[in-house]
Amino acid sequence: MRCFSVASVDSVIIYFGQKIEESIAKEVRQSYYTLKNAKLKHITQIVPSYASIMISYNFLKVSYKQICREIDEVLEHADEFYKERTSRLVTIPVYYGLEVGFDLRELARSKDRAIEEIVSLHVDKKYTVYAIGFSPGFAYMGEIDEALMASRLAAPRAKVPKGSVGIADRQTAIYPQLSPGGWQILGRTPLEMLDISYDSLSYLEIGDRVKFKSISKEEFLELGGEL
Amino acid sequence: MNGGFEVLLAGIQATMQDLGRVGLAHIGISEAGVLDEFAFHNANRLLGNEYGTNMLEILLGGVKLKTTGSTTIALTGAKVDATINNRPIEIWRTHKVYDGDILNIGFATSGVRVYLAVKGGFDVEDEYGSCSVSLKEKIGGKPLHIGRFLPFTCRDLKDRRKLPFEYQPNYDKLLVLRVVASYQWDMFEAKQRERFFDSTYRVTDQNDRMGYRLSGERIELNCKSMISEPIAYGSVQIPAHGEPIVLLKERQTIGGYPKIGAVIPVDCFKLAQAKQDSQIRFKLVGLDEAREISREFYKLFKEF
Repeated sequence: MRCFSVASVDSVIIYFGQKIEESIAKEVRQSYYTLKNAKLKHITQIVPSYASIMISYNFLKVSYKQICREIDEVLEHADEFYKERTSRLVTIPVYYGLEVGFDLRELARSKDRAIEEIVSLHVDKKYTVYAIGFSPGFAYMGEIDEALMASRLAAPRAKVPKGSVGIADRQTAIYPQLSPGGWQILGRTPLEMLDISYDSLSYLEIGDRVKFKSISKEEFLELGGEL
Repeated sequence: MNGGFEVLLAGIQATMQDLGRVGLAHIGISEAGVLDEFAFHNANRLLGNEYGTNMLEILLGGVKLKTTGSTTIALTGAKVDATINNRPIEIWRTHKVYDGDILNIGFATSGVRVYLAVKGGFDVEDEYGSCSVSLKEKIGGKPLHIGRFLPFTCRDLKDRRKLPFEYQPNYDKLLVLRVVASYQWDMFEAKQRERFFDSTYRVTDQNDRMGYRLSGERIELNCKSMISEPIAYGSVQIPAHGEPIVLLKERQTIGGYPKIGAVIPVDCFKLAQAKQDSQIRFKLVGLDEAREISREFYKLFKEF
């Protein structure tokens, strides 16, 4: 199901549903890459999110109706194009140490579990990148195990270090740069999430499957991590 | 020959801007770029610069520069008392500056953003395809600071040019922003939409490169929480408190507040010159009309 709507004079937004769920995320992903590959002439930008995609176009040249028609035509073939292609699996090393996982201890206490169990709950699941936003390269991934569900901090931190891996509600994410933030922090990755040397600039892209891997402090430092 | 400006006074917030980073919102990078494209494109046109050449966007003025080498500049945008070596100069026109000249840009008396362009643009580095300073993201460098050197290549422009007075904007009149219905438009009751278009809003002190928060009649919407979706330029958000926020170039790429419509770009440019307490009204236009208005604007500056 897709529903076209005006976003602004130069942008159309397509809704694929009104829920955060895997089947909708899959449709967003397929449509996003199909559209990207189609390279329609007047399109200037394609922005996906959880359940929608916004497409900006040169509105001085092409009308809303015409661009919708062209997009619709391309998307008719989305399934065919993606039948063969599955999303890539990305592994992200994380050091789940108490000195970088600021909320590990309190989270374990509140859930009446050992810290190791909290870490296991986080690394045992595969996640999907649903959206990227909030700040450059900040990828929203879901869904974390229900047993791990965490509220946002009542008082957000003024400074969350770069690489911090956090959880909030049913989602998990990595802070690509030092920034304020209210997610509960479990650990830190040594990877750069945003870098001009990456093909797509961002380490993660919408639709990626992500798995976290627990690493030791030594490995973290060896990989360039900073405490 | 290389020249440049040495910053003697940096003002409140002066940033290098071009047309921004279009095409990176999918990884969360804000578009950024110049807020008032009318003043921007006119400055470039006066200097015979290429479309989209970078320049300084100076919030409220207060900038003093010392020239090395020589070039031709153009000042556009907010009304300011500007001088070269204490000799008053007009805005919306080109001026020559020579080695050792002191260019002083006073404080804005009408409008809020002054644009300073040089022939050929400043020789600054791009980051992610644009030199635009994105303040919150810390991309594209920082606002001006005292002692910084802004390099340019000395170029000579023979004739003097000026934007005729009748084309210069008046930033003090009531601003009517034209809006196309979009996003959650259908979810707002007719009565709420009428209220939105029948009210006069006021610009609050929360106005910056990200957006303008307005105060006035509250618009109601019965809407449970929304899933974050991509945000278009000019989007008019109606948050829980009901007072509209118009989102500009440095907006977040995705967000979860309902939106009643989107201000058309040419009117966003005008909003960017509105100061605190300015009065704002909204007017509904159709897509075709919005396109025509925009064509009229852009045909002055580029081919499309």
